[in-house]
Amino acid sequence: MSPVSRILRSATYLGLGLAALISVFPFYWMLVSMTNSAVEVANGKLTFGDQLIANFQSLLTEVDMVRVLFNSTVITLFGTILTVALSSAAGYGFEIFRSRFKDHLFSLLLLMLSIPFGAMMIPLFVMFAKAGLLNSFAAILLPGIASIFIVFYFRQATKAFPHELRDAARIDGLNELQIFLRIYLPVMRSTYAAATVIVFMANWNAYLWPLIVLQTNDMKTITLVVSSLVSAYNPNYGVVSVAAVIATLPTCLVFFILQRSFVEGLTGGVK
Amino acid sequence: MASKTKTFTRALFAATAIHLFAAPAVLAGEVTVWFWDTKFNGAAMQEAANRYKAVAPDTTITLVDLAKADLETKLQTQFASGVTDGLPDIVLIDDLRAQLYLQSFTGSFEPLNGAIDHSQFAPYKVAVATVGENIYSLPFDSGVAGFYYRSDILAEAGYAAADMTDITWDRFIEIGIDVKAKTGHPLLSIDMANAAPFRMMLQSAGSWYFTPEGELNLVGNAAFKKAIETYSKMLQAGDTLWKPVSGWAEYTGAFTGGEVAAVPMTGVWITGTVKSAADQAGKWAVAPVPRLDIEGSVNATNHGGSSWYVLSSSAEKTEAIDFLAQVWAKDADFYQKILVDQGAFATFLPAREGAAYSSADDFFGGQTVWKDFSTWVQQIRPVNYGIFAGEVDAAILAQLPAMAAGENVDTIIENIAAQAKSAMQ
Repeated sequence: MSPVSRILRSATYLGLGLAALISVFPFYWMLVSMTNSAVEVANGKLTFGDQLIANFQSLLTEVDMVRVLFNSTVITLFGTILTVALSSAAGYGFEIFRSRFKDHLFSLLLLMLSIPFGAMMIPLFVMFAKAGLLNSFAAILLPGIASIFIVFYFRQATKAFPHELRDAARIDGLNELQIFLRIYLPVMRSTYAAATVIVFMANWNAYLWPLIVLQTNDMKTITLVVSSLVSAYNPNYGVVSVAAVIATLPTCLVFFILQRSFVEGLTGGVK
Repeated sequence: MASKTKTFTRALFAATAIHLFAAPAVLAGEVTVWFWDTKFNGAAMQEAANRYKAVAPDTTITLVDLAKADLETKLQTQFASGVTDGLPDIVLIDDLRAQLYLQSFTGSFEPLNGAIDHSQFAPYKVAVATVGENIYSLPFDSGVAGFYYRSDILAEAGYAAADMTDITWDRFIEIGIDVKAKTGHPLLSIDMANAAPFRMMLQSAGSWYFTPEGELNLVGNAAFKKAIETYSKMLQAGDTLWKPVSGWAEYTGAFTGGEVAAVPMTGVWITGTVKSAADQAGKWAVAPVPRLDIEGSVNATNHGGSSWYVLSSSAEKTEAIDFLAQVWAKDADFYQKILVDQGAFATFLPAREGAAYSSADDFFGGQTVWKDFSTWVQQIRPVNYGIFAGEVDAAILAQLPAMAAGENVDTIIENIAAQAKSAMQ
């Protein structure tokens, strides 16, 4: 390796290392802040302290964490399963089955992606109020389970799904549902993994819509709790950081578990 | 382990099935309150609820804690949608935004004139919730301003309490530059994204962005011009006077960490944060906030504060109003309790006679700070905050670089007025 390319490579690694450091720093600071007092956090202390247990206890005193985590878990679990199931079936259908209208319909759906949620929020709220579903998990789950983005994502991924497999399955006597469940689903597992990570994160971190439709303390989710902790006149940043770590861990965990498949899924892997 | 998992899964499904489609029923006689900050507003409301139990044992007060911005988003969405299901009976609203709600969502709030004796509350606080003949709020905490300073650092620079009392902002700038030169501690931190200090200066002169009729009152407003000049002077002093900060954590960290030696432009609610630096006990004092060097300006102003409002849609309106009248507008002892426990400095004037309001505070070197604030709160000039204060704030913030660069004040005012006008259309 020539000295020039060696210098270039070193500079590349240095740049990448720096970028990695900058990306990881907020996470590090959150972990450090979790172990420090409010005053220490405000003063910018960057080393680990001894306030972790005190902060944790304060959080448990202020917030019914069991209830809050239960709410977030239920919303995320059901939201993820329903969204991935429904949207993958729709994406599969859009790609596999023939119809004169499907491309027009699909374009219309894609067009809907450009409508900001803020514009739909009030009509949606009125709809759910009329249906008597305010302050229920259904109100959180129903608007999101037919995700146009995930339908689009599955349709694109299905383009790589070998038609020969489907034809072979048909010859073997499988019906359409069986082909979807027994052939398509296992083959597309990387796509499912990537979609699961995306939908899981969206559900776990959902903020505006749950804020609007959930109305009582016993229905609060973790994101709403973190938000109200920060809003105090004299926020205890140590306690806020503990809540933030708890709010972040599940998404990290899911990502790390499905990381390999996630990358394969995004790069269009079909096995 | 497997059976535990199974039990948990079953419980999860069962609980979900219950919650999925069922909105919890509201109890009879249940008054729901929306507020922000559990430890401050929530704790005060809880204390009030406990006291109300003795008066009306059958009424339950349910507290719902939300972030301030979240509360506003929810309230506005529901008002805009016309859906009143799930709205609370009582809600806490920031004084600065009170007129925005009262005038934008006419009929959504219940006038309280008949039920509450508003002459018992600080007049400036009543003014912010008045529309025509109607007064809509139960005035709660005050944002009476104080000039918090480190007496030890000021003493090191040769300044005593008397030197900090009843001064102008021009004098403050002189002292600040001197203190920085002698001790290395700035006397002020400035967040270029926060217009509150400017608003405080303006209100100290009894002036505001708008006329009482709601018209923009910037060009030709002598107090506004003086405030722009003074704030420009402050900005131009740069690091000889102030430390730049960004965001709340950095702002509070600057004085709790001991770097900045004063918090001159803040409300009384900052007391808890100042006192959170326990290692600085006995080293702080509070003086009246500086005034503008202009006829009519006083050494008192306001920053923040909020009040309780009853919603017209409330099914428990009678109970909600009775609760406010019986405790919040009557019980002076309740105000002693929340002052001691939460540092909630209220605007209920009879409370000033209580023991807590005249007690000395060792953190402030034995100063009777609450008594001082009680005096200053009565001097605050009432102004009508109007519904577009946020728009004018944004226009002022956009001109801060021009102010720091020493550009022509009249041009700056015209630019602020032009931006505010277009934002208000």
